[in-house]
Amino acid sequence: MTSRLHPFTALTAAASAAVVTTAAAYWPLSVAAALAAVFLAVRRGVAGRVLPAAAVILTPLCLSLLVLHGLFFPEGQTVLAQWGPARVTAEGLGFALELGTRTTACVLVFLLFSFTVSVPDLVSALAGSRIPPQFGFVLASTLTLLPAVAVRLDQIRRAQETRGMVVGRGLLSRLGTLRLQMVPLVLALIDDAGSRAQALDARGFGSPGPRTSYREVADPPAQRRFRAVALVLAAAAVAGRIVASWPAGAPS
Amino acid sequence: MTATTRTALQIRIEAFTFHGENTPVLSGAAISVTPGSLTAVLGGSGSGKSTLGKLMAGWLRAGYAGAFRGSLELEGTLLEFHGAPDDPRINPAEWSSRVAFVPQDAAAMLSSVRATVAEELAFGLENRATPRDDMLRAVERTAARTGLSDLLDRDPATLSGGELRRLAVGCAVIAEPDVLILDEPLASLDAAGAAQVEDLVRSLRGTGTGVVLLSQAADRLAGEATHWTVLDGGTVTAAGTPAQLAGSAELERAGVIGVGGPGVGGPGVSGPGVLGPGVAAGARGPAINDEILSPVPVAAPGPGPASLELRGVGFGYGPDPRHRGAPAQARVLHDVDFAVDPGEIIAVTGPNGAGKSTLLRHFNGLLRPSEGDVRVCGRSIAGVPVGTVAASMGLLFQHPRDQLFERTVLREAAFGLRQLVGKAEAEDRARAALAAVGLSGTEAAHPAELSASRQRLLALATVLARDPAVLALDEPTVGLDRHGLEALRSAVVRAAARGAAVVMVTHDLAYARMNAHRVLELNDGRLREV
Repeated sequence: MTSRLHPFTALTAAASAAVVTTAAAYWPLSVAAALAAVFLAVRRGVAGRVLPAAAVILTPLCLSLLVLHGLFFPEGQTVLAQWGPARVTAEGLGFALELGTRTTACVLVFLLFSFTVSVPDLVSALAGSRIPPQFGFVLASTLTLLPAVAVRLDQIRRAQETRGMVVGRGLLSRLGTLRLQMVPLVLALIDDAGSRAQALDARGFGSPGPRTSYREVADPPAQRRFRAVALVLAAAAVAGRIVASWPAGAPS
Repeated sequence: MTATTRTALQIRIEAFTFHGENTPVLSGAAISVTPGSLTAVLGGSGSGKSTLGKLMAGWLRAGYAGAFRGSLELEGTLLEFHGAPDDPRINPAEWSSRVAFVPQDAAAMLSSVRATVAEELAFGLENRATPRDDMLRAVERTAARTGLSDLLDRDPATLSGGELRRLAVGCAVIAEPDVLILDEPLASLDAAGAAQVEDLVRSLRGTGTGVVLLSQAADRLAGEATHWTVLDGGTVTAAGTPAQLAGSAELERAGVIGVGGPGVGGPGVSGPGVLGPGVAAGARGPAINDEILSPVPVAAPGPGPASLELRGVGFGYGPDPRHRGAPAQARVLHDVDFAVDPGEIIAVTGPNGAGKSTLLRHFNGLLRPSEGDVRVCGRSIAGVPVGTVAASMGLLFQHPRDQLFERTVLREAAFGLRQLVGKAEAEDRARAALAAVGLSGTEAAHPAELSASRQRLLALATVLARDPAVLALDEPTVGLDRHGLEALRSAVVRAAARGAAVVMVTHDLAYARMNAHRVLELNDGRLREV
């Protein structure tokens, strides 16, 4: 394994990639960014978790984009098919493709970050920066929440199966069982949070004032330089976008 | 000599009432702790022990959690509470650095965002801005004290029950408090784990820490106490030295286990096996007494197939997905063969981490064997969904929180029954199962509001309600007080009498010997008759 990425480096890379693809608004670039994220996920061995999570977020989103813009796009000129008020237009499909690939790239990049970042490193890095420690904890809890939710859901599913709930292979059956698990999941998470809050208070977590960090995270100069370059690149992309759309967007 | 007579912490409770409730959970109680002493607060399930401990430790704060009338005195500073808005406020962080508390569920103590045992230990020090060099020394010192030195780089999520408990104690004592309050510190630990915690308590007392033990068992650790306080229904019903209180009526009434006196039963003190005849007498009416005193009725195997049969079962967990490149873990089960006939009660024992729970999860298909076959009522369950196997196999999980998920006790017991017995009978079945474990009257409560012991009984009721052909019970005795153990035993005996096969996993050999027809030991992945 190569030397570890400082969490801020990974975060900067993810954020810059998202900003640049959004600003570029060019679907081949979005597709390339999404493919790169998938490739890295496979290499880091987290594809098995990133891809299902992405599917859960993106499938309904892309379907709604397709329905919304593919079928009802008022500016569409090239009609490919028509059923009453619904018209499939080339422009609509193009717009849906543009928006869909852009969102896909952003979601994949951030999922890749959240599934690969070392949360303790991130919290420690945040504690070392001037950000309030509670913010670091909230962020870390959010990142550990997904795995925690997955574990808890699994527990609830096992408990329900043990009492006769049959989970079928079909999507409908799975959705049906998921419905049974939602209320227990939320209640369990609230209960966990309540009992942990007392312990956190007792261990001084709520106290104001400075903190120290036991863990040390290496931040090599090369990574600092990379972060600076990535941020400049992202800023340039945004600036370029604003400049490019200025004449078209401004009233003549 | 003044150091030994000085009071470190004193609490006097006129009444403590949770917000939104009318009756106090605690009233008429007083505890005082001197440096280096061990004070045991003994009481059955739901007696208010945990509430008392949290109130002493500032986990439950007057005004925030409920209305408190009484006083707290720490090292000469007296705080009076009148249940009024201008009562003194306790800073939980400051207070906890002097009076530390380790909850019953050790995992609840952990921050859950720290990657290693060392960092988890340091969490409280980081929040108090301790310089890093001091932290390194404190972590090293505390780890040596709690026997965690070899585990400092481990992920806390991978620790065994005993290791986790020691980590929780380590997190509590790293700030060197004057008083340490331990809530059921020996629950679910095997003999080796219990001995480690007992040693730790001794060493802490040796350095002047006053220790308060909250327990429902008058076990070996409680036997070392300088003072016993009996808590029953939120009120102190007796107080004195162990010698004065051993065998007292107050202890019996409170549902404390192993009340024959200090030292009775040792660490395996959790079953009717250690209840002398004198304890059972007059406890709960003749029916239960007879059951407790008589040996478990011997099963008469019928002509049909075994209720549960394992043939050459082997199993190993794959590599841990959280740690890339981690090797596949050692095999947990090797060539396990065994069969249970209808009406037979089998106990499986073995140390913590031997794979007992893993074995149990093969019975209904939650885990599938890498080789071999599991047969329930004569049919292989290979490829059969867990939910279908559940019609004949009831599984009680080790931790009630893994079993319970509904919003009321009645809904919990009735889950899945409609599909099994129809709408009309489902509620009757659920109510009958609740009655069988002594939970009638709690139907509308939220399972999380129940005491730990009652949560386990509720989990048992969810299994009993389904009336399965095989009952698989994972550590059913842990956390149960004497009344709970009686309910468990009679439920198991009744189930066996109507022809159910029972397999219970327990680390408690004494309980197993007393309550099962056969005892098997799981060690190094192999099962053998003991």
